[in-house]
Amino acid sequence: MISAQHLTRRFGARAVVADVSFEVSRSEIVALLGPNGAGKTTTMRMLAGLIAPTSGGVVIDGVSLTRATAAGLRARIGFLTESPGLWDRLTVRENLRTYAALYGLADPRRAIDRAIDVLQLPAQASVRAAELSKGMRQKVALARALLHEPAVLLLDEPTSGLDPEVTRGVRRLLEDRRAAGCAILVSTHNLDEAERLADRVAVLHERLLVIDRPAALRRRLTTGRLIVRVTGDHSRGLETVRRFDPAAVIEGPALVLRVADAEQQTPAIVAALVAAGAGVVEVRPEMPALEDVYLRLMGK
Amino acid sequence: MAMTRVRALLAKELLDLSRNRLALLPVGLITTLSLVLPFGIAVAIPMFTGQDLSSDADLVKVSAVAGAHDPLTTSARVQLFLFQQFLMLFLLTPITGAMALAAHAVIGEKQARTLEPLLATPVTTGELLLAKMLGALLPTLVISLAGLALYVGGIVAMAAPGVAAAMLSLRTAILAVWVGPAAALVSLQSAILISSRVNDARTAQQFGVLIIIPLTAVLVAQFTGALWLSATMLALVGLGLVAVWVLLALVSVAIFERDTILTRWR
Repeated sequence: MISAQHLTRRFGARAVVADVSFEVSRSEIVALLGPNGAGKTTTMRMLAGLIAPTSGGVVIDGVSLTRATAAGLRARIGFLTESPGLWDRLTVRENLRTYAALYGLADPRRAIDRAIDVLQLPAQASVRAAELSKGMRQKVALARALLHEPAVLLLDEPTSGLDPEVTRGVRRLLEDRRAAGCAILVSTHNLDEAERLADRVAVLHERLLVIDRPAALRRRLTTGRLIVRVTGDHSRGLETVRRFDPAAVIEGPALVLRVADAEQQTPAIVAALVAAGAGVVEVRPEMPALEDVYLRLMGK
Repeated sequence: MAMTRVRALLAKELLDLSRNRLALLPVGLITTLSLVLPFGIAVAIPMFTGQDLSSDADLVKVSAVAGAHDPLTTSARVQLFLFQQFLMLFLLTPITGAMALAAHAVIGEKQARTLEPLLATPVTTGELLLAKMLGALLPTLVISLAGLALYVGGIVAMAAPGVAAAMLSLRTAILAVWVGPAAALVSLQSAILISSRVNDARTAQQFGVLIIIPLTAVLVAQFTGALWLSATMLALVGLGLVAVWVLLALVSVAIFERDTILTRWR
């Protein structure tokens, strides 16, 4: 659906985005993670046909993005810009009406009513944009991006500065769009959001450092530690697990030991503990937080 | 070019302007001033000083370029000359007031951060710039034409007998409905072109003000009698202005760099 192919963008001698390739499929949400200045917005802008790559290309829904195809492809893309960019002296409905006409919608009134309804903005429909709070402005900008029911959504920091309730609403909305078949690329600083929302996470820092499912990313950096929670006497359990790792310790309510292959060794460890009379409550390999993965990838 | 998109953007421009009427104040003030000035010089001053216009030998001499107009007295002929010359001023000066609107056309959107979502739609550069130009032109023309109606009404009510009839000529019509709008097109298009090439509204406005120089030159030449444009010449001037506008519009579209505007302007 969205295909970035060796995208490179230079400003003078400085490469902001270098040789970035990835794809976002139909009914998929990919989160684009990276620190400030990592090239997220530039990548988004190239995908939206707003700026041209220095080299490489973009294919949207099988159509190569060129100067000739850009206007047509932009009609299929909903782009939420970094800043809401509303016309302050116009009301919410007037802002949306202008965009409905720019997208050539056959029934603009219905589309506007639906967008206002989905984003829960009926009370603000007749309010001038200048009078809206930051969260409301962001919701209107989202309504604008969804107005023409695009097959592709590019959202630059969609929940930036929003309160938890609105954030949850936006998350639910994006899940609905994914269910409707949308290909969605979300740039974010928020690792928690990326983990909750995205099917895959792409970490960008000028280059694409990695792209994978959040769980797979964490597995890549697994610590090799196994956490075993048992009932009863921990010291007896410790004796048992020290047969597998002599350096095993008790950490709070759990036994912690280091194993070479958790998947292969776990059954034997559990069997030994049960045989020693310990009640096993939980066994899980320790997984790093996505934040740890991210920081490791950033070299921090 | 999709006219629905041009209409949508134009409607937005006019709606925005209707809620920011102060932006039209310079156009209104200049139009009012241009309306008061000719009546002050051609009617009020001679009335209050008791000095008839025909007593100024230089004026009488210069006014001869406007033609004989036999049934008119010398004084009425000078008055006709003044009203005709001021008509040019009257049609052109409101444009200078509208320059601020045009100069803000692109840079204003950029500074309000509304340009990027706009450019993310299927709107083409040509459609965007045409809507911006019409958004500055139409209010200017409406104010100019309303002022023109008052100007003509004032001449009918206050000028010497025969002057109003002599004013209603082909030359006046060409000036009002052809040269004036064509000059407005050129000026506003220039301002929009500048607006899409500079990254600061003040710079755009300062460049825009330069438009006043050729207009002033034409007006000074007219008042000194050095330049008298007949109806035919005015029609050709209008045609030339339209050709310049077309050229400027094409150049505006060609040099509008979305990439630079979005990435380099802060």
